[in-house]
This record gives sequence, structure tokens and C-alpha cells, in this order.
Amino acid sequence: MSEVSGQFRTLLPRESLLWVFAAQFVVLLPHFAHLPSWLIFAWFLAVLWRIEVFRGRRAVPGRAIKLLAVSLAVAGLALTYRRWFALEPMVALLAVSFTLKNIELLSRRDAVLSLMLAYFLAATLFVFEQTIPYALYGVLCLVVITAALVAQQGSGSARIGRALGLSVKILAQAVPVMLILFVVMPRLGPLWAVPNNTSAASTGISDSMSPGDFSRLSKSDKPALRISFDGSVPPPEQRYWRGLVYTHFDGRRWSEPGVTGNRWFGRRFRNTQSGQENDGRLPAVGPRYRYQVIQEASHNPWLFALAISDSDTRGVRSTGDDTLVYHMPVGSRLAYDVRSWPRESVTAGPGLSPAEERRHLQLPEEGNPQARAWAEARRREGMDSQAISQSLLALYNRSFTYTLKPPALGADTVDEFMFDTQQGFCEHFANSYVFTMRAAGVPARVVAGYQGGEWVEQEEYLLVRQYDAHAWAEIWLPERGWVRVDPTAAVAPERIRDGLQSAVTEEFMQDALLPLHKFNILNRLRLQWDMINYRWYQTVVSFDADRQQGLLKRWLGEISPLRMAMLLGVPVAVGLLGLLVWLNLSARGPALPPASRAYLRFCQRMARAGLPRRSGEAPGDFARRIERELPALGPMAARITVAYERAAYTDSKGALKQLRRLVRGFWPLRQLAKLGAAPAPHQSVGQ
Amino acid sequence: MQKIISAIVEDIGKVLLGKEHQVKLALACLLARGHLLIEDLPGMGKTTLAHALGRVLGLSHKRVQFTSDMLPADIIGISIFERETGQFRFHEGPVFSQLLLADEINRSSPKTQSALLEAMEERQVSVDGETRPLPEPFFVIATQNPLQQSGTFVLPESQLDRFLMRISLGYPTREAERALFNGVDPRAQLAQITPRINSEGLRKLQGLVHQVKASDSLLDYLERLVQHTRQSAECGVGLSPRGALALLHAARAWALIHNRGHILPEDLQAVLPAVAGHRLQTDGGDGAQLVERMMHQVDIIAA
Repeated sequence: MSEVSGQFRTLLPRESLLWVFAAQFVVLLPHFAHLPSWLIFAWFLAVLWRIEVFRGRRAVPGRAIKLLAVSLAVAGLALTYRRWFALEPMVALLAVSFTLKNIELLSRRDAVLSLMLAYFLAATLFVFEQTIPYALYGVLCLVVITAALVAQQGSGSARIGRALGLSVKILAQAVPVMLILFVVMPRLGPLWAVPNNTSAASTGISDSMSPGDFSRLSKSDKPALRISFDGSVPPPEQRYWRGLVYTHFDGRRWSEPGVTGNRWFGRRFRNTQSGQENDGRLPAVGPRYRYQVIQEASHNPWLFALAISDSDTRGVRSTGDDTLVYHMPVGSRLAYDVRSWPRESVTAGPGLSPAEERRHLQLPEEGNPQARAWAEARRREGMDSQAISQSLLALYNRSFTYTLKPPALGADTVDEFMFDTQQGFCEHFANSYVFTMRAAGVPARVVAGYQGGEWVEQEEYLLVRQYDAHAWAEIWLPERGWVRVDPTAAVAPERIRDGLQSAVTEEFMQDALLPLHKFNILNRLRLQWDMINYRWYQTVVSFDADRQQGLLKRWLGEISPLRMAMLLGVPVAVGLLGLLVWLNLSARGPALPPASRAYLRFCQRMARAGLPRRSGEAPGDFARRIERELPALGPMAARITVAYERAAYTDSKGALKQLRRLVRGFWPLRQLAKLGAAPAPHQSVGQ
Repeated sequence: MQKIISAIVEDIGKVLLGKEHQVKLALACLLARGHLLIEDLPGMGKTTLAHALGRVLGLSHKRVQFTSDMLPADIIGISIFERETGQFRFHEGPVFSQLLLADEINRSSPKTQSALLEAMEERQVSVDGETRPLPEPFFVIATQNPLQQSGTFVLPESQLDRFLMRISLGYPTREAERALFNGVDPRAQLAQITPRINSEGLRKLQGLVHQVKASDSLLDYLERLVQHTRQSAECGVGLSPRGALALLHAARAWALIHNRGHILPEDLQAVLPAVAGHRLQTDGGDGAQLVERMMHQVDIIAA
């Protein structure tokens, strides 16, 4: 066996092996986070085994061991994932094949195969993450893998500096090709849908609201939405990004029946693409606001938009509650275009159907008697819906405090909040407001979403973070339809105007590990970084078929096969022509002496007359051949040849002049025609 | 001067019928101060050519038949103690002549070969610590038999390089052979040859060779030829700078023989097979064929 391993040593030298392992490690590193730990262990084990083989301490694993390893790995995958046709098990399968290939990494061919797999695995990184750091890491992966490929060539190519240098050079040369392909490569839809990972925890606003949910969100400064406007921008107090409507209250939790995890119940959503229903409800005049929302992954299907919105983006639908919803949970960043009409510009609908009214008046059978009594009393005083709302808001304004750290509430959350603690966060206000209004017989609902946002880089886009999460209310007024009422605004108007940070300066982000938000410069840097990310997403990640078409249209006017061919062909042709000219110029060497140029012209004319000079044929020999084959031209050719020989080989100036004169007057075809000399039989010229 | 040269060529032509080209090459080789290696079968006129050259140029010539038991002293000479004078006296070997015909040089041992070749290169011999110059001009015509190589010591490449040219005479033409049959006796012709020139005149002619002009265009061509031998995959080893210089000198002599004060590409092409053929190493193939191909591949005018 030592003989065999000796043979292997010559097949894959130490440097090649180490390079392959380095490339594998670099590629696998970011995947370690989500790969099962046994797989990582297996990889290390396989590498170790291969190194032992290299050092001659262990034999190359036999067929039985390999079979065992494969079965173990497959069993491990099956146990870990259970579902085969999802993204993660597929990536894990790739990693497994990577790992197992190591123990039979014997020849150069194996090494190249492993490195090709590494390219593929490096690409799968972008299925999970498309941010700038990952893109940079992807470039690093490319450099290392290419360097490892370079290192397989042997003879000193494995030296680190040389391999990396050549790799960087090769990749730099590929950049123009990459850019061209990025712009013109057709964006194909996925050929088959690989289910996204659904087990990931959903972030942001959830499908139900109970006290404490929003104060928890207020501790996160992660970005939630980035909104860029096309045209007018709503004032700060109008920036209510509606996400979800809760109509059902069970005494403690507000929720929306039917919004379970991923599936929105089908009964109430309208497809905007069908359009007809739309025309009746939304005015034909242009929308007030047009904007694009880029939403971070939330793993929930609901989207965020201003009141009464419509979107043409594929997979986005409006619901009967005037919210937008995606056809699947948003597993990665999603961009959608929205048009919004403020409620006051839309004529109210025909009124609530009895079923709708029941839904929006639903309350638990019992609980919160004080609130119910307060509402009854207002009703009995003969107040109408709006007046009751006014008095409730006035109550909030008089004696309530807005705080991120409200005291804990018992069973009757509304009563305790309204008549006891009187301190709360937005969800407390929305909760008690909607409860009380319903108790007073006014159809009402809780709306959850985000409110506000922070301008980034001269109002290029609005950055909405998780701590901008907000809950407010909507009540139904028969004459105006649904009206937004924000009870929080009654207590802490600065929350609505200036955002959470100014409303609760002391409490804001108190639990954060590092109170970074208190340093202005860091905040600015963070915004800058967010802006870079945004532009990256806008220009690179979200460059889909539509934007590609738009860009090409801008360049080409219209997209026709001819113009596409020109766009691709002209730069290629120009590049090749340039290369050709350069090669010609560089291959020509120093310019020909004038005598040779004149003589070459003579040779050209002779060639046209059917008698080309052979390569390597001396002028004298050529002249004698002319004399033999075309006697009519013989004397002239002899004179030219003598002149050339004198000009070129004795450097006689007079001979050069004579040569030029002779060649200028030398037209073999004309002379042949004049003399009527029959050209030699093999000639085709002159007939 | 030109008359003398054509007379010389004509005189030798009378003895060696129909071999004008080879005669001219041999003369060019002599004028360029080089040595000549004739590779041919016995009876082709090698010795006749050497004798004719020696007579017509008025050179003292000797002939040595090389054998395997020959020692360097047999060629260079030896110091012998003379009783009368009580001193050692140096007896000059055959190498002390103006024209030495070394027949079948490959039959002798390398030791002897190298003694001769050294003398050829240095144009002097050192015996007993005393350096003795060889007569001027000094010209060696060596012959070797390409067949029956058993028991011979093939000249290595480094030794071959000492010869400016290697030619072969080849069979005579039909007319020449018929003339031979008709009783033209080369030996009788040989006896009739009288010297056309003396050593002084020959030295002058050799000096004239250096004055033949080689223009830039021609040197370009020469350079490209040499580069081709060095870069072409066909040639194992390209021409050395000495080989390139030899080519230039031979071309000059050739141009002089043809009464030109400057070299033409034809001159270079004419001497190329003789000068480069034995210097280029090929894998089994013939150097002459390689040279032939090379002349077609390298154009006279750079393009």
C-alpha cells in the first residue's frame, strides 16, 4: 500500500492538496451556520483522513468504507431534514458530496472536480444572503478557488503569492465580461420552485397582538422597510404603513382569524390584476403617492403600504381590509411598487354588510366591565360615534402616559389600563380604544404596521426600522367609511411627528448592549451604510427582467433582435478589430526599407499578372523565372530586379529612385494586353 | 582580378567535369579562409579536386591517409635527436603545408582528429612547448566516407563546426561522364594545370573578401535565417554565432567569385546548404533538406 500511496503522492502534490482544502474551507465557512454540525465534523474528518493518507499513515479507504460513509451521510441528511426538495437539504447534499470526495481525492482530475463543485457551492451562498458583505465574501471565494485551480498546474504555480496573483489577474480580466453578461443575460425565471425555508422565525409584526408585543419590537433597530417615492411624499403624520388588520379579540389577544402562518384565507382577497373590481373602488384619476417598498425578509405574507393601495407587482394582492399581501411568506428581500390613494380622496363604499359589521363589533362575552360601562354611559348621553371617539381621546390626553415600560396587566387588560395604570405603549392605546368603541357599538379594528421612518441621504428613501412598529385603530363612520384614529397621537403627538426616539428619549433602546444610538456620528455612519446597502439592492440584487428591459430600452430605444445583436456584436467586433490591428502592428516589426516596399509592389503586380514570387525566392531567381515564363515582361523585370538589388544591397540612392520610377511605370497586365502575349496557361487573370 | 578567378574555375573545371558549383564552393571556402569537408563515396573526385586546387593556386599540398593507428605526431611532426649536432630537431609533419588533404578523416582516433582540428583552428601547432606557425595560407580539405561507418570515429558536432563548409560532389552529369569515357584523362589534365596565382595574390583575394558589402537588408535576411534555425521546432540546435559569421563570410566570398562588391540574397542561399547543413542538428533527418525547407520558409523580404 505504501507503494500505492507513493504513487498518489506524485499524482497530487502536497501544495495542490492544501489548496483544495483551503478552497473548500473558505467556501464552507459561511455555510457552517446552517449546515448540521455532524456534516462539519465529517468534513474535518475527511480532510484529516486524506492528510493521513498523504503522509502514508493510513490507506486510501476501500470500497466498503466509502459505501459506509455514503450511507451514513445520506442517512444523516434524511434524519436531519426529512424534507428532500427544499433548499437547505440540497445545499447540504452538495456539501456532503464535497466532503465525501475528499477521501478519494487522488488525481488531478479529482481536485479539479472538487474545485468546480466549490464554485457551485460558493454560488449557493447567494440563495441565502445577497448583501454586500456576502458579495465580497463571494469574490474572496472566487479568488481562492481560482488560485487553487491555478495551483494544480504544478511547477511552482502553487506558491501562494503567485497563485493568488494569477487568480486575481484572471478574475480581473473577466470583469468586463461579467458586466456585459450582467446587463444582457436574460433573466430566466426559476425552472422549478425550491421551497424556501419556512422554519425560520418570523420577524416584525406578527399575526396577533397582545400587550408587550410592540414594546418588544421597539427594542430592535433592524431595518424593516425602505421606501422611495416617485413624486410627492406624504407628511410625517400621514406615514402609516399598514400591514395587518386585527378584528378578533379574545379578551387578551387581538388576531385575525384565517391569517394562519403562511396562508391568507382566500375568501376576501381580490386580485388586482383582474382590475375590473378595482375600477369601481379606486378613482380613475392618478394616485396621490407612487412609491417602491423594499421589505426585509419577515417570513410573513403581509406587506406594508399606505391606506388604500394597489400594486402591479407580481404576486401582490389587495385584501378587503385595504392591505396588501404576497402570495407566499416573504423569505428574502422583496421589492414592490405601490400606488396609494388617501382615504379622503376615495368615495366611501356602499357601507358594511351585516357580516362585516358583526365582525367589527365582535367582543368577548365578558370581561372589562368598566370599559363597557364607560362606553354605555357615553352612548346613553346620546353621543354619536365621532363624539365618543373624541371624548375617549380627550381622556387619553388628560391623564395617560406614553411609556415603553408599562406596568404588567392582569386579566382585564382594558379596564386595568384605562382606569388603573394609565401608562402604556401604542398597543395598549389601540387595544383599549378599539375595545371601548366596539362596546359603544362603533365598528372598529386594530391596524398594525409601521409609522414614520427616517430619511436617508437627502430624502432618497425612507428607512423604517422595527422600532417604528406601531398599532393604531380604524373606526367605521357611515358617512365617511373607515377612518384612521391613532389614540397614541392623543397622548404623545411627538411619537407620530418625530418618531419613537424623541417620544421616549430615556427609555429608547435602553436594553441595547451598546447604546450606539446616542452617538450622532455612529448614527450617521449607520445611515450611510444602510444607504449603500439600499443602492446595492436597487442596482444589483433587484436587477430583474423588468429593469433589464428598462435599461436596454433606454440604451437601444427598442429591443429588437437586431439591436441586441448590435449591442453585443459591436463591442466584441471593435475589441477583436483592435486586437487584430494591435497584433498586426506588433508583429510587423520595424518598418520595411523603401526599396523593399517598392520591390514588394512589383511582386504584387507580378502576382496579379499570374506569376507570384515564391516564398524565399531570391529576386534574381524570380527575374529569371519571369524571363522564362513571361518573356514579354522579362527585360523590364530584369531592370527592376537589378535596380532593387543595387538599392537594397548596395544602399545606392540613385538605384532607389530608379527602382521607384521603374515600378511606377510597371503595369504587367497592360503590357501583356498591349503585346497580346498569351498568358501562361495556368493564369486566370486577364481573360 | 575577376579574370584570375574565372580562369581558376575554368582550369579546375577541365579536370573535374561538370562540377562548377562545387568547385566554386570550394574556392569560396578557401577565399573565406575556411576549411572544407567533402563527404562522398570513393572515386568521386575528391582527391582530384584537392590536387587541382593546390596546383592552380600554386600551393604546396600534401595528402595524408588517415588510419586508426595514426598518432598526432604523424600529422604534426616530431622532434628527433640528431647526433651530429647533438640537438633535437623538429621534423615537420604533413600539416606544415599550404593545402592539406586529409583523406578519410573519420578513420583515425579522436586524439589524432583533434590534433588536426586544433591546428586548423589555431593555424599553429605547439610541440615541446614551442609554438610553430603553419604556412599561410593554410587550407585543409578533409574527406569522409559516409558509408561503411563501422570502425570509424564519427566527427562530433563540435569538430564539424571547424569546417566552414561541407559539400558532396555527387555523380557526374551524363555529358561529363561521356567525356570521361571518351578518353579525357583527368590526370593528364591535372599535369597541364599551371598556377594562376601565387600566395601573395591569394592573400590579396582573401583580403578583398572582407571588402564585399553586406547591406542592412541583407543582414536582416541573414538574421531572420539564423533566428529561424533557433526557433523552428525542426532544428534541434540552431546556428551558433560562429555559424552565422561563417555564413556571412562564405556569402562574401561567393559574391566576390561572381564579381560583385556586395552580397545578394542569392549568394547567401547558394552557400547556405554547404555552410549550415552540417551545423544544424536534426532528429534523424538530413540537415540539407532542412536547409532547403528553411530557404522556402524564410522570405527574403520581411513581411
